[in-house]
Amino acid sequence: MKRTGKGIGCMWYPIGFTVAANPSAATVKINEDGTATVLTGTVETGQGALTVLGQIAAEELGISADDVHVVSADTDTTPMDTGAIASRTTYVTGNAIQMAAEKAKEILFEVAAPLLRVKAEQLEAADRKIQVKGFPQRCLPIAEVANHAQFVMGMPAIGSASFNPPTVEMDPETGQGKPFSTYVYATQIAEVSVDDETGEVDVIRIAAAHDCGTAINPMLVEGQVQGGISMGIGFALQEEMLFDENGVQINPNLTNYIMPTSLDMPEIEVDIVENYDPTGPFGAKGVGEPTSVPTAAAILNAIFDAVGVRIYSLPATAEKILAAIKEKRAEERQALPAAE
Amino acid sequence: MDDNVKVVEAETSLEALREADEALRLPAVAEPITYPIETKVPDARQQTPAVGQRATRPDGRLHGLGQTKYIDDLSFPGMIHAKIKRAGIAHARIKSVDVSEAAKMPGVLATLVGAEIPVNSFGPSLQDQPVLASDIVYHAGDGVAAVAAVTEQLAADALEKITVEYEPMTPVFDPLEAMSDDAPKVHDPDSNIYATKVIKKGDVDKGFEDADHIFEATFRTQMVEHVPLEPHATIADWDGNGRLTLWSSLGRITMGRADVSRTLGLPYNRIRIIGTIVGGNFGGKNEITQEPILGLLSKKTGRPVKGVYSREDEFMSSTTRHPFIMEYKTGINSDGRIVARKVRLVCDGGAYCSWSETTLGKACILSAGPYNIDNLHVEAFAVYTNKTMTGAMRGFGAPQVCFAYESHMDDMAKELGIDPLEIRLLNAFEENAASPTGQVLESVVVKESLQIAAERFGWKD
Repeated sequence: MKRTGKGIGCMWYPIGFTVAANPSAATVKINEDGTATVLTGTVETGQGALTVLGQIAAEELGISADDVHVVSADTDTTPMDTGAIASRTTYVTGNAIQMAAEKAKEILFEVAAPLLRVKAEQLEAADRKIQVKGFPQRCLPIAEVANHAQFVMGMPAIGSASFNPPTVEMDPETGQGKPFSTYVYATQIAEVSVDDETGEVDVIRIAAAHDCGTAINPMLVEGQVQGGISMGIGFALQEEMLFDENGVQINPNLTNYIMPTSLDMPEIEVDIVENYDPTGPFGAKGVGEPTSVPTAAAILNAIFDAVGVRIYSLPATAEKILAAIKEKRAEERQALPAAE
Repeated sequence: MDDNVKVVEAETSLEALREADEALRLPAVAEPITYPIETKVPDARQQTPAVGQRATRPDGRLHGLGQTKYIDDLSFPGMIHAKIKRAGIAHARIKSVDVSEAAKMPGVLATLVGAEIPVNSFGPSLQDQPVLASDIVYHAGDGVAAVAAVTEQLAADALEKITVEYEPMTPVFDPLEAMSDDAPKVHDPDSNIYATKVIKKGDVDKGFEDADHIFEATFRTQMVEHVPLEPHATIADWDGNGRLTLWSSLGRITMGRADVSRTLGLPYNRIRIIGTIVGGNFGGKNEITQEPILGLLSKKTGRPVKGVYSREDEFMSSTTRHPFIMEYKTGINSDGRIVARKVRLVCDGGAYCSWSETTLGKACILSAGPYNIDNLHVEAFAVYTNKTMTGAMRGFGAPQVCFAYESHMDDMAKELGIDPLEIRLLNAFEENAASPTGQVLESVVVKESLQIAAERFGWKD
């Protein structure tokens, strides 16, 4: 018989890592037509990081995502970066890019100030314009200012900056300290169906509510959550590297190492928890790894709710679940008063 | 007159032959592209302000059109292919490596063994990993020799001709066994424990005394692989100026360059790493693997050398997620409030340290969960075994401990007759809560995430 159950997985996760310094550097060039080029040493590993980093630069410069081109990952030309690791790209590299863009923007303000007859501090960048704060109608197109900066004033608008999250080393005896600059929080709730005759689990749906500070690009956040959950399902139910008694892996292939496919995916409902971290770029933190963290916990708790067995070792294969169900039934039979 | 007829016949047949030839011939150029070359930019990419826009990815369009160039799509004139021979034995002393038969094979241009690598060790916190094992094999996936040949198949065939003589050593596979004094030692002759972390907060013994109930459980997790669609892949080109260019699937080129510099003894400015679009990382491409090997094979042959891991290479030799053994003991009051917790984590660190220290640190800090626990004691150990190396993988120990602390939470909730949502809301961090390390937490939304997920799911229905 198929029995359904529900389970919660709740988690917290730090942004960045601890062993050593964790810096990112970036350069932002505002082109003569008001578009921009960003140089970053991070690598696009499929998560959409370059799109998000471009949006951060665009926001600072008051232009659109499409106005920014991001050049990445060349040790000859791009600045040093700690890389695509530890859910740090949006937060750490993002902060560096925002700071670099701000420096480049200040050059445009310096150029625009006399043209608009105000002080540079009174200016802001928005909607592809350099405008006077509080008087947006007093403005110049950013293209005109950038062109003027390069070809009339001889002041190319380029900024470089770096960011390293402030931390306090942990005391080796007590572990007390400030190992990370900030953390994110999330909850996933899973509904599963467990066949109590075979032990097979079907994950029916998962509701995922994730905090990432400001969602720079909500669509890409949702994509990360969906991908993270697929990895979490594999960790919870299927995937395991198996070794023979000599320590040689016996399933080093995708025929015998079973990963979830699209057919194993549940319905996923993503909520982004509204939040703002003042230390992140425009309030953003990160989201990459956390999406995969609570999935197994939620699924295992849902199995517990469905059939009343606790699986203490991952993956919760059908064999393990069935064995636990049988053991529970045997215990229950024993507990019954003996028939007269 | 006869002659004229012959000429006409000859011309006709020539024409016919040309036509037949044309019909048979494959097109010399690809079919014309069928997508509009003028790209319509979606509105979300053009709007200001940029933050918060559901902007599509420029690389996404190229993925969809099949135009993204992964390493395996790149080719250079004269490029050859490399393969690495894996030990297939978990712990052994290498008595000899004989590559002479492989080197004689037609099409094989170069071979490489560990002894030829200038500095044959690397690693992010401990430099305990050889590029190619030259003295001792620490796990079955260790590379012991490499071959470069004109085709990938020839390189793979040549690996069969390499003979390695091993003197087997006693391996240890179970991390708990590996912690005992009399266990065979992997690296350090004194101990297999290579990293320890401790967190102490409040008075855990007093906390247990004060608690209404004590719960204990042990949880275990398995070893899993990242399984990126694109396996580790690199092309190395050692040019006439002694400058090495690497097109690589590395996710961390800044550190990658440092490791290449160390292992090859090259100044940083003679190394260029170009990170290509990576087909999945998940923490598995955080450190160098075959880059120094390909560099040296390119130096030997004067040709660009491509190395693309097979799925088997990927499983056997690249990093994996640490298996954990997690002992939990929690003191809790009848109303569901947690008063004390003791956690002992043992992480199977595999054959090399890699990112175990970071993993252990994060697991240690996160192991109490996002909950207020005044009395806490966590101790965590990373232990060498002769298994596939473990390293960074999406979550750095967090998925393991989350499975443990959340399973433990529901076990307690069930016993105490409290709803799983309520017990979490009761214990969850609030703004300015103190973390296990004494850090004051800001922008905390644990309760909000619980409530929003519960509402979306229909928890109370």
